[in-house]
Amino acid sequence: MATRLESKTLPYGVGHLTVAWYVVTAFLLAILALGLYAYSRQLGEGEIVTGMRDIGTMGGAPWGIYIAFVVYFVGVSFAGITIAGMVRLLNLEHLRPIARMAELLTVITLVLGAFSILADVGQPLRALINLPRYARPMSPFFGTFTLVIAGYLFASLVYLYLAGRRDAAIMARQDTRFGWLYRLWAAGYTDTPEERERHRRTTFWLALGILPLLLTAHSTLGFVFGLQAGRPGWFSALQAPAFVVLAGVSGTGLMIVIAAILRRALGATRELSIGVFRWLSNFLMVLTAAYLYFMVVEWLVSVYAAPSAEARVAAAVFRGDYAWIYWLSAVALVASFVILFVQYAARNHNLALAVIAGLLVNLAAIGKRYEIVIPSQTHGTLLPYGEGLYRPSWVEYSVILGLIALGVLLYMLFMKVFPIIEAPESGEVA
Amino acid sequence: MQTRTVVALAVLTAGVALGLVSYFFLAAPLGRPTDESFSNPRVPFAAALFIGGIVLVFASAVCYELIGVRREDGA
Repeated sequence: MATRLESKTLPYGVGHLTVAWYVVTAFLLAILALGLYAYSRQLGEGEIVTGMRDIGTMGGAPWGIYIAFVVYFVGVSFAGITIAGMVRLLNLEHLRPIARMAELLTVITLVLGAFSILADVGQPLRALINLPRYARPMSPFFGTFTLVIAGYLFASLVYLYLAGRRDAAIMARQDTRFGWLYRLWAAGYTDTPEERERHRRTTFWLALGILPLLLTAHSTLGFVFGLQAGRPGWFSALQAPAFVVLAGVSGTGLMIVIAAILRRALGATRELSIGVFRWLSNFLMVLTAAYLYFMVVEWLVSVYAAPSAEARVAAAVFRGDYAWIYWLSAVALVASFVILFVQYAARNHNLALAVIAGLLVNLAAIGKRYEIVIPSQTHGTLLPYGEGLYRPSWVEYSVILGLIALGVLLYMLFMKVFPIIEAPESGEVA
Repeated sequence: MQTRTVVALAVLTAGVALGLVSYFFLAAPLGRPTDESFSNPRVPFAAALFIGGIVLVFASAVCYELIGVRREDGA
């Protein structure tokens, strides 16, 4: 029998609102309001207020930063549920404190990805009705919105819900204003050995079911680009695996950043020990190395003897309009890898350096997503059109910033209602 | 076999069946398009049914964990 949660204060800052929390929340609400205002302008005046234009005749790109961020957000979600799944499947007990953080990150970034798609389409209501009405299984879009946005999101919610029942039962015993929520979430859970065993079995099979689903889902997202034979720069067998690996890179990097912030904010140095960051850093190092390999292969193939249309896109990416984004992303990835490898080789992990690496890979991931989505539209047409141009407008930047603010807000609100770190196995419920 | 296992397996099976049927038989035909029938689903909202199938598959996990509790409460 174990330690009962006897402290009158709720764990991990639940229900504890500080001045700093209010200040950050107000700041995020202001950014969210800006995003909503920008989106209202887009809804009212049409997509003419964005930088998006048709390919060819209008010399632009109809997929802009909204789609780049769809790919980024969905990519980040990959690592969240992967880490959470690996904790259950491989019994990585020392990573259990970050399991819920990872699950929540997955749910929130998938919601942000869905909102990014809605921001991209001119008539969101029509999209919501017509996508499920007319979608064809032959199209990779079918997989994107059925598997990624709907199935994967639901599966992640189920995972978050079931994995949280035990903590909900613990919280239900405290005298709080959210008692009704905890009782509803716990749904009669009393933490008997039978219930624990049943839960362990369920989460094992759930994780086993989610992992292939998310691999398929992320590959499908890669196929949205990789199967377009008429679009130089996109048509490639490497798109799907590269999407999956970069998804892992960005998500793991963000997990390091979030875990480090929460370690400091919640004073959870015991739960979020340096061992957790060592594991995440090493995992990120391997993924970054794999993605750098993809980048080198991509570069070699496109500059060696590519067809003229492919070479035109490659020139724009490596030496032209988009070169600064590409090379900054490449430098950020290499710098992250060097930081992580030096720590690994020296067997001395520094938290600040790990956070820097996590931030760098995310900046690189955003840059790479932009590079994947845009140049093939402005420079990759097979028809005799001139080179196009895409410059995001303030509306697009504001909407994306608003979405990021919404994501952070949702994360912060969740943390004030529910423990972001799982109670140890030894905690008693009944 | 316990009730919860039976119900969970039934929901799981229904989800898989709904997903497969909606994907292969209700949505637009698979294969190289030869006429306009390949452009539209055979049953409108077949994709929504497919999503319903996936939802049922994962909802089976919730059934497995919760149904026993309800039975105990009722007992």
